[in-house]
Amino acid sequence: MRAFRIVIAGHGTLPAALLSTAELICGPIADISAVGLAATDTPDRYAEALRAAIGHDHRRVLVLSDLLGGTPFNLASAIARRSPRVVCVSGVNLGMAVEAALTDGDLTDEVVERLLEAGTDGIVETERHRARRAS
Amino acid sequence: MSLRLVRIDDRLIHGQVVAGWLRTIGAERIVIVDDATARDEFLREVLVLAAPQGVPVEVHDVASGAARCSELAAAPESVIVLARSPRTVLALRQAGVPIEVVDLGGMGAGPGRRRLHKTISVSPDEMRELRELEQLGTRVEIQIVADDRPIAFRSLDSGN
Repeated sequence: MRAFRIVIAGHGTLPAALLSTAELICGPIADISAVGLAATDTPDRYAEALRAAIGHDHRRVLVLSDLLGGTPFNLASAIARRSPRVVCVSGVNLGMAVEAALTDGDLTDEVVERLLEAGTDGIVETERHRARRAS
Repeated sequence: MSLRLVRIDDRLIHGQVVAGWLRTIGAERIVIVDDATARDEFLREVLVLAAPQGVPVEVHDVASGAARCSELAAAPESVIVLARSPRTVLALRQAGVPIEVVDLGGMGAGPGRRRLHKTISVSPDEMRELRELEQLGTRVEIQIVADDRPIAFRSLDSGN
């Protein structure tokens, strides 16, 4: 069982869509939430929503954000810089979200490394991928 | 050469800037001019994190920013200058930084602020500062993302 909470943070409806799509793949996911930034949100209001999703207990939280340098990432990394129990990653995709959801145990450095790899491992171009597989 | 984009945006670096503008104009450097950010090491650090790899970020207060922007305006590098408020850009202009156009990209709503266009709201002080910029020969335009057609501030300014 996973011992940390997951928050998917991103622009528009992407977080909610990513969450429901991840559940399509791995079934209902516990202890996860999605926080989407609407065009009308102020950074303050979004930060408030992020903090509520992260929670005020002392559990470790993994924030999966979409765009490096986007407001969700910027605000989540500001929170992560101030509170060591929070880890913020950018560039979330379906592969990374599923890997995170299915992780067992604690949010260790190894787990973070593996999630970053899961995010990039699934990015290939068919022909190049085929050539590499064949060699 | 000149500063490729001078933008007023109260979020400074965010998605529209890194995924849109940076790419569209091929900016090689981001210069932030903001007194409060320049004083706050934590804010500076978070802003530097927000930029993609390979794009250096500089944070200046208005005094050092004016010198730096004048220097960069004379160099061939493509640069984005970001400020939170019209006051900062006016100060740069008054210090002699050549600014042909200033882009209003993000100015949030709030008490005492009037909506000018979409997500662009202004306080009475900011209206005065934007008019002053125009009087100094800087064109003020609203262009939230690079794909938008720029809208002249002048066409939205009823004079009230």
